Amino acid sequence: MRRSLKEKTAPYVLLSPYLFMLIVFFGYAFIRCFYFSFTEYDLFSPPRWVGFKNYLNLVKDFQFGLALKNSLQFAVIVTSLQTILALLLAVILNQKIKGIRFFRAVYYMPSITSSAVVTLIFMWLFQKKGLINYLLTLAKTGYRIIAVFFGLFVLCQAFLVIGEKIKKRPVSLFEPSFLFLSVVVSFMATFILVKTGIVTMAEGIPPVETVWLNTKKMWPQNNRIFGISYPLGSIMLLNTWTTAPTFMLLYLAGLQDIPKELYEAAAVDGATKFKTFWYVVRPQLSNITFLVVTMGLISTLQMFDQVAIIGDQAPLDSVITLAYYVYINAFPSSVSPKIGMASAAAVFLGFLTLLIVLIQKKVVREGEGVEL
Amino acid sequence: MRKQELSTIKLPSEEEIREFQLKQRRWRKVAMIYLVLLLVSILTIGPFFFGLLSSLKDNPLEWPPKLSVNQLKPANWIAAFRLSKAGCGKGFFGEFAPGAIIPFQVTYQVPAGKEPVTPQVVVPKRVPGTAGAALLIEHYAADYSRVSEVQEVKREILADGSVRVTYAFTIHHTGDVVCDRLPMDITVPLGQQFVSATLDPNRPNERLGRVQSWNNLTAGVIPYIFYNYHRVFSENYSRTTGKNLFSSWIKNSFVLCFARVLTNLLFASMAGFALARLKFRGKNTIFLLMLFSMMIPGQVTFISNYLVLRDGVFGLSKLFGVNTLLNSYSGLIVSGLVSASSVFIMKQFFEGLPESLEEAARIDGASSYQILFRIFFPLAKPALGALTILTFQGVWNEFFWPLVVLTSPQDRFTLTIGLLSFRRMYGVAFDWGPILAGSVISALPLVVLFVVFQRYFVEGISFTGVKG
Repeated sequence: MRRSLKEKTAPYVLLSPYLFMLIVFFGYAFIRCFYFSFTEYDLFSPPRWVGFKNYLNLVKDFQFGLALKNSLQFAVIVTSLQTILALLLAVILNQKIKGIRFFRAVYYMPSITSSAVVTLIFMWLFQKKGLINYLLTLAKTGYRIIAVFFGLFVLCQAFLVIGEKIKKRPVSLFEPSFLFLSVVVSFMATFILVKTGIVTMAEGIPPVETVWLNTKKMWPQNNRIFGISYPLGSIMLLNTWTTAPTFMLLYLAGLQDIPKELYEAAAVDGATKFKTFWYVVRPQLSNITFLVVTMGLISTLQMFDQVAIIGDQAPLDSVITLAYYVYINAFPSSVSPKIGMASAAAVFLGFLTLLIVLIQKKVVREGEGVEL
Repeated sequence: MRKQELSTIKLPSEEEIREFQLKQRRWRKVAMIYLVLLLVSILTIGPFFFGLLSSLKDNPLEWPPKLSVNQLKPANWIAAFRLSKAGCGKGFFGEFAPGAIIPFQVTYQVPAGKEPVTPQVVVPKRVPGTAGAALLIEHYAADYSRVSEVQEVKREILADGSVRVTYAFTIHHTGDVVCDRLPMDITVPLGQQFVSATLDPNRPNERLGRVQSWNNLTAGVIPYIFYNYHRVFSENYSRTTGKNLFSSWIKNSFVLCFARVLTNLLFASMAGFALARLKFRGKNTIFLLMLFSMMIPGQVTFISNYLVLRDGVFGLSKLFGVNTLLNSYSGLIVSGLVSASSVFIMKQFFEGLPESLEEAARIDGASSYQILFRIFFPLAKPALGALTILTFQGVWNEFFWPLVVLTSPQDRFTLTIGLLSFRRMYGVAFDWGPILAGSVISALPLVVLFVVFQRYFVEGISFTGVKG
């Protein structure tokens, strides 16, 4: 009898630490957030019930609109970019050659360090006298060299491929072994042309001094609804760069799970590389894509760290996101906390996340149905 | 003779040529793959590499950005060693001690037709880095040093008529106190160009090239090379306790990670085991709630959690004589005992273990606790390894929650929050050296961990990914 009681309580005992977390730090907090969103509260005097006033104020708040716009822009653009990039990186890494483990480690590097570290390094790269502007300057002054290199490269590749076609041998436009030859030849030729002074750097071009962070500039200009502010755009690049490698690992696992026979069958049918990828590989990865997009959307909608670290180095309006809006309302630097507004915005953010994930789920699942 | 030789050479058959071509093709294809892999690597670790390199530079924002760094030139290492040896008898960590005589040489170039002017050497009373550091300086080398007469030791006339002159002088310590640094400025007229010196100057082009400036001649090799790193540790002291801030942050981060990893390993295995292998009422509800909690942003729950910590978890902490858990590590540990994703990983793992393990033990009369701790726990090494790494990484990099909980004093910060305060302090002055150095230091433990336990990182990601 005692024993069975011990067994009966065992699951709850084992779960108790987690249940404590789930109840106190999630359930209770979640319900309280709802409650706070209907009150006026400054963390000290007791909350005062105000009904829907906070939500109405949110709708009227210009800054909230900006935060919403920035968050949505950020979520959509970064999720698409990082999904594509992750797949691309995984395809590049899916090779059976020596040292591939080393490259996998190198590619994963951006994902292991903290957002604080990468944001600081990026802020430094995006300074007015930073590396990004320097590389742009270099591209601007050396455009002739770059053009000559690419021109020679294309010519060389075309020459090799046509040569092979004349011999009536099957060859693809991007035959890798030819690509390598073309790169080497055009690189050497360009090098000689530069050394002999036939192709030169452009002169009199002023250095690029774009201000990336501390600016209200938009791209495209004057487009208030769809325009991306420069600082937010920089953060998008940064975030894509740091999160793509995580998702790359998921894709890589997926790619390695695809049975060899599928590739072989495609090859027998004479499918090109691209066709194999589109009709064979991509459908096999649809589960992973769904996961990647869902996780991407959830995390990008909550983007906070980068904005907080850049802080006053960028105008608030051009980088503020929903998560940051919640934070600065709850812990403003000068006025008293507006917990009601913060909670209302947080509730909104929570629902937005759920809604977008649900829509995504529906669209992707239906899309699949059509394909089958 | 020659004819005969030619005829004996066997011409390769068509087949052999074809095979050779194919081999070559395969070789070039592999080379192309490596080339692409390498080019993409530049994108992924290029920023880190350049950041690491620039963290050694005097001015990480120099224009144009260069890959060559004065601090990495062996000639400068030797010079720094010798100067420091002259300064205090020690070569690696130096100071400017009584009785020191520092010999120095510097070379300038003057265009044809102009007469070289003897440069003026000054030991300035310069405050290093931020103003806060000034409070720590007891003695300025400027008050205890004398520069000898500057003498011309060599003159060389170049092909175009311009003249290169080398000057030599010594700096003497005249007092009886130890100064921790010996800065120096050399001033020359406009047009007299700096060529070289015993030790490369930290700022060669001050005031249109008229002033060359050194931070510390007797730094010693290590502080010379790792100047910004040295600044990170030497310039940041707590106003209240006088303790070194940056090392406190490192310690805090490690302590927090250690505690959170332990609690997560234990409690996540317990919860994961219960959810995976035991039957009880409310199991599905708990699991669904768990999934739901993983989707809800932290911004929804943080206000209430902040209040819970502020009031000491419903006043429970008062039992231990603690009023509030804000600004404390107990608070961060209590609010992060075990995360939903850790439970999820352990649940996934335990579900994958064979049923027979458990059945056999049950027949032998083992309790659920015994099954978990005697059988399942030892088997869970791979999952626990991955969970350790993931939790460590997550806690080490955590930003939002520590930012809310830890506000003052500064020596309570974790590394990530500390870096934010670095950005605020140094970023205003575009003084990126210490910021980069601090970033590199705080990235280091994870990079080491990653290099050693790469497998676990990868596994951890795929564990979390199974839920799709």
